Amino acid sequence: MKRVFQHPPAPENGRTYWRSLGEYSKTPDFEEWLHREFPAGAAEWEQDPLSRRNFLRLMGASLALAGLGLSGCRRPEAHLVPFTQSPEWVVPGRTMSFATAQPRRRGAIPLLATTFDGRPIKMEGNPLHPVSQGNSDNHSQSSILDLYDPARRRHLTFQGKKATPAQFEAEIQRIRTEASASGGATLGILADETVSPTRERLRAELLRQFPQSTWAVYEPLSPGRDAEASAAAFGPGTQFRADLSAASAILAVDCDFLGSDDGDLTDTRKFAAGRRVRKPGDKISRLYVAEPRFSITGSMADHRLRLRAGEVGAFLVELGRQLRGIRGTPELSAALTNAPDLAPPQGVDAAWIRECAADLAANAGRSVLMVGRRQPVGIQALALAINSALGAIGTTLVVQPAFSPAAASIRDLTARLQTGAIKSLVILGGNPVYNAPTDLAWADLLASVPNSLHLAELPNATSTKTTWFVPGTHYLEAWGDALATDGSYLSIQPAIQPLWAGESQLELLCRLIGKAKPIGPALIKETFAARTNQSGLPLEEAWKNFVREGFLPNSTNNAIKAVNSTSLAALAAKIPETLEASTDSLEAVFIPSPAVDDGRYLNNGWMQEWPDPMTKLTWDNAVLVSKKTAESLGLRNEIVKGILVADVVRATLAGQTVEAPVMIAPGHVDFAVSLPLGYGQDELGPVAKGSGFNAYRLRRSDGDYLASGLKIQKTGATRKLAVTQEHQAMEGRDLVREATLAEFSKDPGWVKKVGMDGHIPPNQNFYPAPPLNGEYQWAMVVDLSTCTGCNACVTACTAENNIPIVGKDQVMKGREMHWIRVDRYFTGEPEEPEAVAQPVACMQCENAPCETVCPVNATVHNEEGLNVMAYNRCIGTRYCANNCPYKVRRFNFFDYNQRALDKLYLGPIAPKGTEETIKLQKNPNVTVRMRGVMEKCTFCVQRIEEAKISARVKARDSANIRIPVGSLQTACQQACPADAIVFGDMKNEKEEVGKLRNLPQNYSLLEYLNVRPRLTYLGRVRNPNPAMPGARTSYIPSHGHGDSHGSDQAEGGH
Amino acid sequence: MANIFPRWTNWLPIKLLVCVAVVAASIVSGMAYYFTPKYTRVGYQPTQPVEFDHSLHVNQLGMDCRYCHTHVEKSSHSNVPATQTCMNCHTQIKALSPKLEPVRQSWKTGQPVPWVRIHKAPDYVYFNHAVHVNRGVSCVACHGHVNRMKVVWHDQPQSMGWCLECHRAPENHLRPLDQVTNMDWEPPTGTSQRELGEKFVREWNVNPPVSCSGCHR
Repeated sequence: MKRVFQHPPAPENGRTYWRSLGEYSKTPDFEEWLHREFPAGAAEWEQDPLSRRNFLRLMGASLALAGLGLSGCRRPEAHLVPFTQSPEWVVPGRTMSFATAQPRRRGAIPLLATTFDGRPIKMEGNPLHPVSQGNSDNHSQSSILDLYDPARRRHLTFQGKKATPAQFEAEIQRIRTEASASGGATLGILADETVSPTRERLRAELLRQFPQSTWAVYEPLSPGRDAEASAAAFGPGTQFRADLSAASAILAVDCDFLGSDDGDLTDTRKFAAGRRVRKPGDKISRLYVAEPRFSITGSMADHRLRLRAGEVGAFLVELGRQLRGIRGTPELSAALTNAPDLAPPQGVDAAWIRECAADLAANAGRSVLMVGRRQPVGIQALALAINSALGAIGTTLVVQPAFSPAAASIRDLTARLQTGAIKSLVILGGNPVYNAPTDLAWADLLASVPNSLHLAELPNATSTKTTWFVPGTHYLEAWGDALATDGSYLSIQPAIQPLWAGESQLELLCRLIGKAKPIGPALIKETFAARTNQSGLPLEEAWKNFVREGFLPNSTNNAIKAVNSTSLAALAAKIPETLEASTDSLEAVFIPSPAVDDGRYLNNGWMQEWPDPMTKLTWDNAVLVSKKTAESLGLRNEIVKGILVADVVRATLAGQTVEAPVMIAPGHVDFAVSLPLGYGQDELGPVAKGSGFNAYRLRRSDGDYLASGLKIQKTGATRKLAVTQEHQAMEGRDLVREATLAEFSKDPGWVKKVGMDGHIPPNQNFYPAPPLNGEYQWAMVVDLSTCTGCNACVTACTAENNIPIVGKDQVMKGREMHWIRVDRYFTGEPEEPEAVAQPVACMQCENAPCETVCPVNATVHNEEGLNVMAYNRCIGTRYCANNCPYKVRRFNFFDYNQRALDKLYLGPIAPKGTEETIKLQKNPNVTVRMRGVMEKCTFCVQRIEEAKISARVKARDSANIRIPVGSLQTACQQACPADAIVFGDMKNEKEEVGKLRNLPQNYSLLEYLNVRPRLTYLGRVRNPNPAMPGARTSYIPSHGHGDSHGSDQAEGGH
Repeated sequence: MANIFPRWTNWLPIKLLVCVAVVAASIVSGMAYYFTPKYTRVGYQPTQPVEFDHSLHVNQLGMDCRYCHTHVEKSSHSNVPATQTCMNCHTQIKALSPKLEPVRQSWKTGQPVPWVRIHKAPDYVYFNHAVHVNRGVSCVACHGHVNRMKVVWHDQPQSMGWCLECHRAPENHLRPLDQVTNMDWEPPTGTSQRELGEKFVREWNVNPPVSCSGCHR
C-alpha cells in the first residue's frame, strides 16, 4: 500500500519562498512537478509511435538473436603502446599542472591547466596569484570545452575555399608591400581586447613601420566610458576598479559586479569575506543595489531599489545632493554645479536615497559607489566625484595605470573604411559583423574592402564576409601574456600543441611586421626582459619563475590618488537627461548574457545548458520584463508540463525589428526591458544553432547600452523555453533560513527554531544505521550568507565529473544532469522580491532513503559517510530517485555521451560515438556513464581516493596515512570564488568543516525526516539598515503553533 | 470414445527430451564458459610482437622490475617500457639479433611497439599500482612469477572477489618494502607470512578499502 508522508504544515504566518511565479500562485502544474521526481512525461516514452509493449517485444527478439552469436563475448585483443622516447616529466597516468591565464577584456584570469597524457582536462585557479587564490569562475571552467570544440576550423580559408600556408604567406607579403608603399594608409586593423603587453609592443612596432595605419579596438560590452572619466579625473592612461576588502557600505547602481558586469574573482571574494558571519558580534558589510533587472548582485543586497537604467543620472544627482549636505567636497560641488539639474527619479522614495547617502557618508573611507561601466561618461564622472567625497579614492576605489594605450574606436575605423582608403583590413578576434552597432553596417562595409582577413578561434559571421579566414589558437595552445585585473603581469603558457593548424594573434602580428613566426616563448621573453629590465642569468632565473608560477610578483601599481576636479566637473555636464518610459515607449537595456557573455561562448554546450542564475533559463535568451509591464502589454508566460511557453513579441527600435520570446522576471523595473546579447548565431556551430535571438540587431552606436522608444507587439506566436526553476522542487518547509544581523546576534541558534525543527520528537531510524567507523567522516557546509548563486560550482562540477549536456528538449523534460543545482528562491511580492540562492547537491544522508530501496545494492554507504554509487551495478529502476527527498539524483535517460542530442529518439538507429576531440576533455578518473544508469554527486570521491592514495604512497612503511589538512578540495569548493563551500573531515577538530557544523546557525534541509544529511547550511544573515524605508526588522518567521503541534511526524494514509 | 491424445502426441516425450537436453547443455556450457578462471582470462598468453623473455632478464641478468616499469611506484598505471629503454642496452648487446628487429624498427621510425595487453581491469575499476607496491604488496601477488615466464601469461583471476580476498585479509600478502620486487621472496625461516603480515598491518596502519568507492568512481 502506498504510504503518504504527511509533511508538517507550513507555518501560518511565516514568510513564503518561491522559485517561480507558478509556485507563487500554486498552479496545478507546479503541484504536479512537486510530487514527482521527474515531471509527467519525463519517465514515459511519448513521442514514439512504438508502444512500450511493442518495444519490449522487439527488444526481446533482438536479444534472442544476439544470443545466437556468442562470439562478441570474448574480450578483443588490445595493445599497450608506450612512447618510443620518454618525454621529460611525463609519468603516464599522472596529471601535470601548468600555470597559464585566460585572456578577458578587462584583465586575464590566472589559472592552472591540469593535463593528463598531454591533454588539458580541467582548469583551476592559480592558488599563488592574489586575484584567483585557487578560485575560478564559469567562463574559465568552461573554456576547456572551447579548446575541443569540433566546430573549430582546421585549415586556412581563402574566399570560402581551403588555402595553403604558402598562399597565406604570399598574402601577408602583399599586405606588407602595399602598406609600405602607402605608409600604412591602406592598412586597417580591428582587434578585440586581450590586455597583452606583448601585443601592445607589436602594435607599437607596427605603427612605427606603418605610421598611417589605423589600429582600432572594439569590445561590444566595454565601450571604455569609465576610462574616459578616469582620464579626466586621474590623468590620461589610468583606470580604476573597486577594492572591496575594506568596504563596509557598498552602493551598486546598475552594476552587477558579482555577476556578468566585468566584476572579477577578487570582487566576489572580498565581498564574501565582508559578509561572513561566524559568531555574534561579527560585523558585516552592507550592500545597497539600485538596478533595472534582478541580478545576482541584487539578490545579495540588503536593500534593493528597482531603478531604470535611464534614471541612473537622476538617482546619482540626487544622491550627490544629499551627500553634499553631509560631506561636501569641492569635486562633488563642482560636479553637481555642472551636472544638469535633474529631478529625483519618479516613484523612488526620497528617504531611500537620503538614508543610503547618510549610511555611505557615515562609513566614509570604507564605503564605495559602483556604477555600471556602460553608463554614460557623465555619470561615470559624477560617480567618481561622489566616491571622492566618500573618501573612497585610494582605499575602496583603486586607481591604476591603464592596461592598454588609447586606440581608435570602431566608429573611427568605419569612417576611414567608408572613404575607401583602406585596402587591407586585418581583424584580430571578435565578430564585428555580428555585434557592431547596426548603423555602422559592418556586413556591407566588409564587402567593400578589397582584402580582408579574420583570425578567430571559431569561424563566425565575420569570417564568412572576409576574404581570408585564419583559424586562431585557443589560449591553451600558444604562448602569450596578459595583465590580471590587479595589473600584475601574467604568463600564458600553452598546455598542448595547436590541435589544428592554428595561429595566434601574436604570431600573425609578428609576421605582419616582417619578422619570422616566433619559436616558442621567444616573443614573450623579450617583453618580459624589457619589463623586468634584466638580462643574463638573473633574467633566466626570473623567467623560469615567471613561467612556473604564472605571474611576476609585485608587478602592480595602485599609487595614483590625486583627483583633477576641474576636468571631472566638466565631464559631469555630459550627464544625459532622464529617459522617460511608458508602455508605448519602453526603455531598452542591452545586457551581457551571464551564460555566453557577448556571444563568444555560444557554441559551448556547458554554458548553453547552464541555468541563468536568476531566470534559470537555458539554451535561449529572452526579453525580460516586469510583471506589471507584461500585464499592461498583455504578455503571458504559461507553464505547461514544466515547459515555459512564452509569448513571442516583435520588438521595434529605431526601425529595426527582432522577434523574441518574453520572460516575466520578478523584480524587474517597470516600463523597461532587458535584452540579453550574444544569442542568435546559427552559423557558429551545431550547439549554437537555434538558440535565442540576436539582440544586437536593435543596437545602434548612439544607444549601445540604453535606448528609449522601444515598441513591443504581441505576435500571437509562442516559444517553448527550457527553464529549470521549477525542476527538482522540494516539498517541505523553511529550506532557506534568514535572519538580520541583530536577530542573529541576539539568538545565534535561530535556525533551530525555524519551521518544525524545534518540534521534532525523538526519532528512530527504520533501518540499521550504517557503521560510520572510517578514518575520515566527510561533510560539507555551505554558507548561505556568502553564496552569491553565481553557478561557478555547477560549471566546475560539470568539468570535473564528465557531466553530459542533454540539450534543450531534454531540459524541458526536467532531465538536466547537473549534480549540483543552485536553487534560487524569491520571497515577498513578485514586484519587489528578495532572493536567496541555495546550492543543493547530494546530501550524503547517513540514513539515506535511496539505499534502502535499491534492489541491487548499487547505492550503498561506505564507512566514511559517503553515499556511494556503483554505476556498473545500477540497473536503472530509478527507485532511489523516487525516494530521494532532496531530488538530487540524475538518470541517464539516453546515451548522452554516445548519441547526437538531436537524434536521441532514433535509439540504436542513430550513429553511435562522439567527436574525438570531445573525448579528449573527459576526466579519466571518473566513469563516463551510459544510458540507464543513475548518478549523483559523489563529494568528488575520485579526489578523496586520490588524496588517500597519495598519503599512503608517501607514508610507505610508516603509520602516518592521514591526508594533510587543507590538501583535499572538491571541485565545487575549489572553484567557489566566495569560499562559501567548505568540505572536509568533520571528525578532525583541525578542519573547518567540523567547526562550522557545530556553529549554532548550522542547519540541515528537511531535518524532520531524520536522514541526517552530511551537507548542511549556515543560515543567511542579512544586514538591513533600520533607517531605510521599508526595512524589515525581522526575517525569522514567527510561526504560530497550529493544532498539529507535537504530532508533526505522523505518517498518515497507511 | 474419441482419442484424448491425438497422434502427434506420440512424439511429444522425445521432443520434450530433446528440448530439455538442449537447454541443459547450453546452461552447462554457459556455466563452464563464463564462471571458470578461463573467462577471467587466467592462462591468456598472447604472442607478443617481440619475443621478450622475462625469465632471462630477471633471473639470469638480475634486472629489477622497476628498470623497465619505471613509474610503477609513482603512478596508478605501471608503464611498459619505452623503446628507448630497450635500446639502452640493445644498441650494444645483441644489436643485430633478428628477434629485436621490431624494436629497432620502432626506434628508427618512432612508431611504438604494439605490445599485446594481457591484464586489463574493466573501465569502471580504478586500480592504482603505486599504492600497492609502496605498501608492501609484491608484483607476484597479482602477476604471478613473471620471473619464471618465457612468455607472460595471465596468472591470477583478477576478479572482484579475488581482489576482496586480499583487501579483507591483507596480512596474507604483505612483505617488507625492499622485497616487493623480489619475485622469489619467502618469509625468513622461523617466521610465517601471517605473523609478518599482521605485524605490518599493525605497524603501517594498513586498512585497504572494501567499500565500492575504493575502486569504483
